[in-house]
Amino acid sequence: MKVKRLLLFLLILSCLTSCEVENEPIIIQSEDYHNAIDKLTEVMVHDIFSPPAASRLYVYPSIAAYETLNQNSEEYLSLATQLNGLKPLQITSYKDNINLNLAALIAYLNVSEEMVFSKEIFTNYKDSLYTYWDNNNKKEFRAARSYAEEVSSQIIKWMKEDRYDKTRTMSVYNIYSDDPSVWQPTPPAYMNGIEPHWNKLRPFTLDSASQFKPAPHPDFSLEPDSQFYKELMSVYKINNDIREKGNESEEIAIARFWDCNPFVSVNKGHYMFAEKKITPGAHWIGICKIACEKNQTDFKKTVYAQTKTSIAIADAFISCWDEKYRSNLVRPETLINKYIDPDWLPILQTPPFPEYTSGHSVVSSSAAEVLTTIFGDDFEFLDTTEIPYGLPARFFKSFKSAADEAIISRVFGGIHYESAVYEGKSQGILVGKFVDQKIQFLKFNDKDKSQ
Amino acid sequence: MVTEDSEHNIINYIYYYNGGGVAAGDINSDDLPDLFFVANTGENKLFINKGNLEFEDISEQANIQGNASWNTGVTMIDINNDGLLDIYVCAVSGLLDFTGHNELFINNGDGTFTEDAKSYGLDFKGYSTQSYFFDYDKDGDLDVYIVNHAVHTNLSHGRADLRNDRTANVGDVLLRNDNGKFTDVSDSANIYGGINGYGLSASIADFNNDGWDDIYVCNDFHEDDYYYINNQDGTFKESLDEAFTTISRFSMGSDAADINGNGYQDLITLDMLPKEERVLKETEGDDAMFNMQAHLKKLGYKDQFSRNMLQINQTGDYFIETALLNKVADTDWSWAPLFADFNNDTHQDLFISNGILRRPNSLDFKKYVSSAFKGREESEGLEWLYNSIDKMPSGKVANEIFEGNSEIFKNQTGNWIKNEPQLSNGAIYVDLDLDGDLDLVTNNFNQAASIFKNTTNGKANYLDLKFEYKSTNKEGVGSKALVYSNGKSQLKQLYKSRGFLSSVEAKLHFGLGKTSKIDSVKVIWPNNEYIVIKQPEANAALNVVYQEGGQIYDYSKNKEKNIIFKKEDFINFTHKEDNYNDFAEEKLIPYKVSTLGPAFALGDIDDNGFEDIYIGNSVGKPAILMLNNGLSFEKSDQPEFIEDINFEDNSALFVDVDNDGDLDLYVASGANKSPKYKTDRLYLNNNGKFTKKEGLVPEDQFITSTVIAYDYDADGDQDLFIGNYSQLGNFGLMVDSYILVNNGSGHFEKDQNFKLTSKVTDAKWYDINEDGIKDLIITTEWDHPYIFINEEGKLREMKLPNELNGLWQTVTMYDFDKDGDKDILFGNWGLNTKFNLNFDGPLMMYHSDFDRNGVEESILAYNNDGKYYPLNTKDELSSQMNVISKIFTDHKSMAGKTIEEVITKGSLKQAKSYKVETLASGYLLNENGKFDKFIPFDKDFQLAPITSFLELQLKNENQLVVGGNSFRVNTYHGAYSALKGLLVKGKDRYNFVSEFGIEPFHDQIKKIESLKMKSFNLLIVVSNDGALRCYSY
Repeated sequence: MKVKRLLLFLLILSCLTSCEVENEPIIIQSEDYHNAIDKLTEVMVHDIFSPPAASRLYVYPSIAAYETLNQNSEEYLSLATQLNGLKPLQITSYKDNINLNLAALIAYLNVSEEMVFSKEIFTNYKDSLYTYWDNNNKKEFRAARSYAEEVSSQIIKWMKEDRYDKTRTMSVYNIYSDDPSVWQPTPPAYMNGIEPHWNKLRPFTLDSASQFKPAPHPDFSLEPDSQFYKELMSVYKINNDIREKGNESEEIAIARFWDCNPFVSVNKGHYMFAEKKITPGAHWIGICKIACEKNQTDFKKTVYAQTKTSIAIADAFISCWDEKYRSNLVRPETLINKYIDPDWLPILQTPPFPEYTSGHSVVSSSAAEVLTTIFGDDFEFLDTTEIPYGLPARFFKSFKSAADEAIISRVFGGIHYESAVYEGKSQGILVGKFVDQKIQFLKFNDKDKSQ
Repeated sequence: MVTEDSEHNIINYIYYYNGGGVAAGDINSDDLPDLFFVANTGENKLFINKGNLEFEDISEQANIQGNASWNTGVTMIDINNDGLLDIYVCAVSGLLDFTGHNELFINNGDGTFTEDAKSYGLDFKGYSTQSYFFDYDKDGDLDVYIVNHAVHTNLSHGRADLRNDRTANVGDVLLRNDNGKFTDVSDSANIYGGINGYGLSASIADFNNDGWDDIYVCNDFHEDDYYYINNQDGTFKESLDEAFTTISRFSMGSDAADINGNGYQDLITLDMLPKEERVLKETEGDDAMFNMQAHLKKLGYKDQFSRNMLQINQTGDYFIETALLNKVADTDWSWAPLFADFNNDTHQDLFISNGILRRPNSLDFKKYVSSAFKGREESEGLEWLYNSIDKMPSGKVANEIFEGNSEIFKNQTGNWIKNEPQLSNGAIYVDLDLDGDLDLVTNNFNQAASIFKNTTNGKANYLDLKFEYKSTNKEGVGSKALVYSNGKSQLKQLYKSRGFLSSVEAKLHFGLGKTSKIDSVKVIWPNNEYIVIKQPEANAALNVVYQEGGQIYDYSKNKEKNIIFKKEDFINFTHKEDNYNDFAEEKLIPYKVSTLGPAFALGDIDDNGFEDIYIGNSVGKPAILMLNNGLSFEKSDQPEFIEDINFEDNSALFVDVDNDGDLDLYVASGANKSPKYKTDRLYLNNNGKFTKKEGLVPEDQFITSTVIAYDYDADGDQDLFIGNYSQLGNFGLMVDSYILVNNGSGHFEKDQNFKLTSKVTDAKWYDINEDGIKDLIITTEWDHPYIFINEEGKLREMKLPNELNGLWQTVTMYDFDKDGDKDILFGNWGLNTKFNLNFDGPLMMYHSDFDRNGVEESILAYNNDGKYYPLNTKDELSSQMNVISKIFTDHKSMAGKTIEEVITKGSLKQAKSYKVETLASGYLLNENGKFDKFIPFDKDFQLAPITSFLELQLKNENQLVVGGNSFRVNTYHGAYSALKGLLVKGKDRYNFVSEFGIEPFHDQIKKIESLKMKSFNLLIVVSNDGALRCYSY
């Protein structure tokens, strides 16, 4: 990071020169914003946030940055009165000469710091930046900080009304059921069902969590000619076929690339531990970054793109989780081990929540939908998001084709029935389209397709 | 020495830090016991005892250093019966790059040994832990059970019945000695050998006193332990489920001995529950098993709990687990337990060896290694992980020693042995200096071995016994000896392998205390012939030589029972709880409030002179009414009971509320998610049909625990006391109980003069002050019991002794001390419970909305050495209060912190606090009508919570049946099922119910009742989530 590399040198420099020289203006660019997001991802992976909780973690800081930038913008509209429960902000410290990019970044950091568990990592990061800015241009920094804090504190207050805190302490998923169709914790860690009350959170755009309730899954049945059983056997067969093809097969590459399961438990000797990974939401935030970089979007557009994408992802999770704990459907692994093959393992580890609909399908489709509205269809890109996690880059012709691959990866992985991914895709497209239609970001041309 | 590299370490081999064994025996026939130490990877060592605790290392010339890559357990045994001790060493082979096989070093008699396992068929190759020589088929020679261990694979986490599929290397084996050649008979003898058998030790003993040797096998991890009863025909029957209700999860070492002097050998199995507060909170505990345990149960495994288990043998039929009562449950990472009389006072003491180089179950380490495989190839990840093992915290822990008195153990660590952190694995007792007391030897991990010289010396008397049995088992392995002295008998049975990986001398050591007079010694030989030696001399080693033609010892004499109760099947009812789980809703509460049923009431509905039975049910199942004609029961058709199927019935009472001469029915409702089904119900009796009538009693939305009736205002109608226990979803909230005054026609109103806000569990009307009118006794949790003296319809609270806040479950009045007046007996939580481990001051509960999210939490804190610590783990606390994750980002930062440091002083001050000062059940002594003294019951009453007393007349004497247990508890506790039922005549006169034909109470007892049939009485034992049992008497 540019800022960091210069940090020490500038610190020394500023000590020597601060009294005499007029300070340089602080320049904040898109890259700095991406760096802040990456830092947030790093802490999130460290803290092992669940996929829904991670989606929430991305969206509020982005909204704070967006609102900081666009209180008096000529291009972009404030999201106040557009997002559920967000009232117009009360601003007293805004001045015309405020460094808005700087303020937006500070607001982003403020809200992020409020949300993560491992605060000290984030605080250290923030403090080093603050010290640098403060030494570089005290006046500019402090004006931006006052304004940013005014915005971020109001965003935090609004955030705290989303019932997240209440859901922390609600009941955990009760596994004491004898019904074979009901979800049960899965090997190897048998974790509790993640976020059974996520549908109680305030959505950002949706009227309610159940606004885009998907069609019901095929009726649970173990009769060989039932649709459900056929889909179950298809998971079993597809997995076995893929395994036969071996680790180098395209299907395994696809399954692993889109795994995005932060709960994967590894069993080694005495150990069963979480193999850290990013979440589906984080993957699409990464794709958004790739798109911004490819188009060299300016700071404002970068923040806009990230904000819109993260809203689409967050609402997709709320919509999907609403269905997951409505249908409470058992995972293929549980049924296959119980009725078909006790030693069978899916290619991907089954994530710890009910099966229907597929979270990755809903989220990917929703994210692809809004990214297309920003960057256009046929937007080719090389997806390097998973490289830090040991997986190679993959090339895609468009956001939607990437989403389609994410969707089918869940069947290849052996963790979803086909209905869950196809119904999940429809659900995600509906959420994405709704976000696009309901929220107006651009003042004059909401359907800005490309730069 | 064990060295580690990226291939060889605790990550690649789960038992890398288990250490090696130690064995004692006189290999050079100079009467001084010599010592053999196993080295896992290095060379084994043999030391000749030169006397005066001086030893000479003869390992090299003796040729016993071993050829296997990884050695484990050792047993000295004269395998060829040439009078010279041979040495059998177990090995792990075929795992990692380990090669070799179990080795048998035959003693050449000249200080050298020759390895010859193959000729004997003892060259077993697999993952061996230790060998156990015994004569299971009574053909006169020694067979061997070899404990082998599993390693984690995806398969070994599968179904419990995998134990039936014999797996090479891993499965335990039983080898039969056929004229000096050992043959694998595991399958035909019914020995499990599955891929899931993580065998770490066994204990051989004649547990059921039938003269044949049985086997208890300790299995680590999820696999159940095995309890093999010898069928006396060359086969065994695995009987863990019939004999044990509570077993250790990570079972490691074990030992068997008669520790209470009742003539049956008891058992200890070790586990790894930390004692130190900081370690406890840094280490993965049973709370991590919240879901896993339910899953394992579905796979067919028994519930297991991570703590040491002290299993007291009840006449060979079943075991009562008492480690918590004895405070021997939490000795941390424990390997070898040894029962022996170290101070020669006639009572068995207990030594436990402890310590592990690094703790692989450190919660922070587990989180730390989470990034091990991130973006790495597996081999690279393992390398990285190996390089991180120094980040695992040290597990050095002091060895512990406990003094026994045949009643209870007392910790003497720091007095008898130094309290200093160690890494001791294999351990033995042996009188190294022949001064008449047992010294201790431990094989330490990567350190020199330790000898603990016993300085009892001449302070107390002793007797040592050695045997010379038949030529095929010269050492007499399996012989029993009973030493009678000073009105007491001591039983011991001779086996070599004990504790963990180790073996002791072929010698039985008896302490005699102050007396040097021995009345007699009875020796029962392996073939069950016995001889009696009269008045042998004390303070000597007595050599008992077998002579043919002795009398056969008659074991059947001990088995005779006094059958008073005969099992009947008049009432076929099994209560099954619904799927509600309190811990899914409130994650910090110590026990459930939803499993208090079934309701049970007696009353003569049809006025035929015989009491009928109402049994209320759990949610989703209908209550039943059984009509009694004096000979049998018949189910009565009651449509309204079917309609009310969604209620949970906690308590019921037949009472004539409307003064029409027939019995109506009040049913107290329990936990229910729906407000509609929370309310209590009153059914009126219309010619035998019960019709629910609303509006007669005030609505009650609480979990009601009890309802009792009495005309307390003496106006000619029955009034009710309604005892409320809890509000569902808010454990710590105290709730109102009340008295309902009857207006004479069955309309009730609350008595406004009576106020009680508490957690009521039970209540009784008794005339306490003998003024002819009944007074009210109430038991509560997190509060003291209440006694209200009835003064013409006004209830005046009577003052009780101080410090009686408890977890009171039930009450009765009974002349317990046989002085002619009735004392008040209270059932409390008991002392054989986890709360008892940290009870250096009252147990506290704080109730408040700590995280200000609109939901109140109930947080418990226990007192350890004057300081209060949160009972729950960081993970549990943060699952209820998200803010904990932000304050404490790792486990280390919260571990060892007091409750004030975790929750903050200010928050605690604002919270309501409740305490438990007394855990023991006991009685208020009636001294001329005054009840100023609370006296705890004997330890046999403290084995679990007491939930029910029943007074009945037996042989013209009033006696009490006492029952209890609790499966309501969370993972912190496990389950309490050690109160197997008592039949009590008085405070010093009581027996276990199983002695009279009643099956031991393994369930959570709800109620014990008795009723009259035409020609006999019927005792009814009602359980929660279990079958109702009845017995005629």
